[in-house]
Amino acid sequence: MENGLSSDRTDFVKFSGKSGEYFKLWFVNMFLSIITLGIYSAWAKVRDTQYMYGHTSVDDNSFRFLATPMQILKGRIVAVIIFIIYMALSQMSPALSIVMALAFLVAFPWLIIQGIKFSMRMTAYRNVRFSFEGTYGGVIVHFILLPILGAITLYLAMPWVVQQIQQYMHNNITYGGKHFEQKSSAGQYYIAVLFSVGIALIGGAIIAAFGGTAIAAADGGLSLGLVFVGLASFALFGIVNAVYQSIIYNHLMATLEIENVVSFDAQMKTLPFAILVLTNILLIVVTFGLAIPVVKIRTSRYIASVTQVTIKPGINELINTVEGSDSALGEEAAGLFDSDLSII
Amino acid sequence: MQTSIKGTYQLAGRSESHPASAIIFETGQVIIQHLNGESIMDVWPDNYQFSDVIPGLAVDLVLADGALFVPHDKSYRWPQLTSSNLLAEWLESHWLVVLSSVLVVPLFLWSMVNYVLPGAAHAAVAFLPDSIAESMGEQTLYILDKTQFDPSELDAKQQQHVSQLWQRITTQLELPDDKYQLHFRKFDLGANAMALPDGSIIVTDDIVTLMKDDPDALLSVLLHEVGHVEHQHSLKMIAQTTATTMLFAMMFGDIDGAGELILGAGTGLLQTAFSRDMEREADEFSHQNLPAFNISPAAFADAMTLLANSHSLSDDEESANENSDEDVSDNEDQQEIKRKIMHWLQYLSSHPETQERIDTARKKGEENSELL
Repeated sequence: MENGLSSDRTDFVKFSGKSGEYFKLWFVNMFLSIITLGIYSAWAKVRDTQYMYGHTSVDDNSFRFLATPMQILKGRIVAVIIFIIYMALSQMSPALSIVMALAFLVAFPWLIIQGIKFSMRMTAYRNVRFSFEGTYGGVIVHFILLPILGAITLYLAMPWVVQQIQQYMHNNITYGGKHFEQKSSAGQYYIAVLFSVGIALIGGAIIAAFGGTAIAAADGGLSLGLVFVGLASFALFGIVNAVYQSIIYNHLMATLEIENVVSFDAQMKTLPFAILVLTNILLIVVTFGLAIPVVKIRTSRYIASVTQVTIKPGINELINTVEGSDSALGEEAAGLFDSDLSII
Repeated sequence: MQTSIKGTYQLAGRSESHPASAIIFETGQVIIQHLNGESIMDVWPDNYQFSDVIPGLAVDLVLADGALFVPHDKSYRWPQLTSSNLLAEWLESHWLVVLSSVLVVPLFLWSMVNYVLPGAAHAAVAFLPDSIAESMGEQTLYILDKTQFDPSELDAKQQQHVSQLWQRITTQLELPDDKYQLHFRKFDLGANAMALPDGSIIVTDDIVTLMKDDPDALLSVLLHEVGHVEHQHSLKMIAQTTATTMLFAMMFGDIDGAGELILGAGTGLLQTAFSRDMEREADEFSHQNLPAFNISPAAFADAMTLLANSHSLSDDEESANENSDEDVSDNEDQQEIKRKIMHWLQYLSSHPETQERIDTARKKGEENSELL
């Protein structure tokens, strides 16, 4: 008997992670990383990712993170050695450190590709792995040249640039050797920007008008007025951000697919997402960062609950095309030099 | 004795899967079969392992070829799992472990930062060849000359005067001439002296002018700078900062967001703490060697007072000078409040509180006169 399907099956992504459970895992792993001088952090990273992936399921199959702690540890050790040499050189011989910085600059796009490739290849769904097929030239064009173009057009071309970057990333992800296809349109990005800028301007004007009156009325006791302006600006930021994010996310999901394998849809709503982001920020600030695991769970749960995946019959015939175990050097080096890139 | 559990059999290297059950025998043998009883796999412990045990997730049986058996019951834990397989999950699911780590971490960090790291850094510095200190010194002076310094505008007589003091020091302390070099420079940020790792000592025009009537004070300052070189402070600082940054990056680098915050603020604070300890050490070097020149350590107190006054004067003129941590207010009441603030600000400062340094030097001076 085959777990096959003859027609499409559509369901929401399910996320079953729990805040309390994940908090304990996160905290204990942080503790073990600290007392082992960071060596355990390779294990911590694997367990953390396994938790998040394992609790994310589509069509009753969860994702799996396949990297082993040793892969990550090796990559990390090499990255640390390079970093120590760089730090030592920059103190002792500024001239040599410039040479090294230039070499790093040249290697940087390659490191980015390796990093993304590693995390994709280590992700499996139904025993079939993802991969990333970006090229050095492609990364140069999309992450260096296009942003420069965006800047010299006084940011008028920026929405298009961002659309191109995200499209490039999605188009180069493969699953079972099949390319994702992202057919997003730049027009939606311009609409998202226009909406959020418009709301920012209107909201800003209202806050300025009310806030100004409140501060003037308070006459010296300006604290209440200031509090109002602060809270209102904070809420406005959350709404503006959510307007942009929800339009883009819904659009990206609607236009992403692997033909005859999978397609997506999303109904992210502005207000719930704004409330999520704002409460997340408050939680992190109030708890001095201890709420980070709670925030990660809340966010994953929300994103999953608004994202629909349609599984198509072709998924049953996929064959894994990714073999072997890579080194995590690219990802680790990029991470250590603080250049992690998030794809979505 | 055998147990049977329901789950999904996931083929190796492909997306195909079937509902299945696994029968586990006490010998470790596992038979995976279709729901109709038809056998799929019959494996022994040599041919399978388990995925990591993660809270709230099923533990997969991973076959040698990469095929999986995923139990439906997420809380099911295979009898073959050893306690070391289960340890991480056990730790991760007890609040007591969380609470005890809250206590252990600060203690651990404190001892690392205060004892282990400085010790390791100092030990490592002893192995560094002199050539590193030399090239560091040359390059630093080159950069300072390009960015901060101008050629000295002191006349030959003034320079001669300081050079004679310098000669007294190198002769008395038997310092090698090829290593220790005195440089005169003009520096806009006021009276100051500094030491580079290769033994180059730089005095600014302002400090020479400031102490022209008090050669003992200037000599005590020069000794302080020699102390920095003799104790290899620059190298130790680099070793210590690098070690701390690396340690923090390794320990916290993985924690989202927290990494940057702790790295930035933490290492910054620690660097200034190291720096304060080194200033104290250099002060002490000056105190200890002054009597050999028949000068009381109190001369260092005079030097600090002169410097503090000159900086507070220029502060008044320029209203605020961020670099000045040697600051004395004129008003008595304000002074008290200011000293309390300064006491706390000390944790942000790269130098010990000036008053503290003056008091220490005076005390040394008194002790010394008793001895004489």
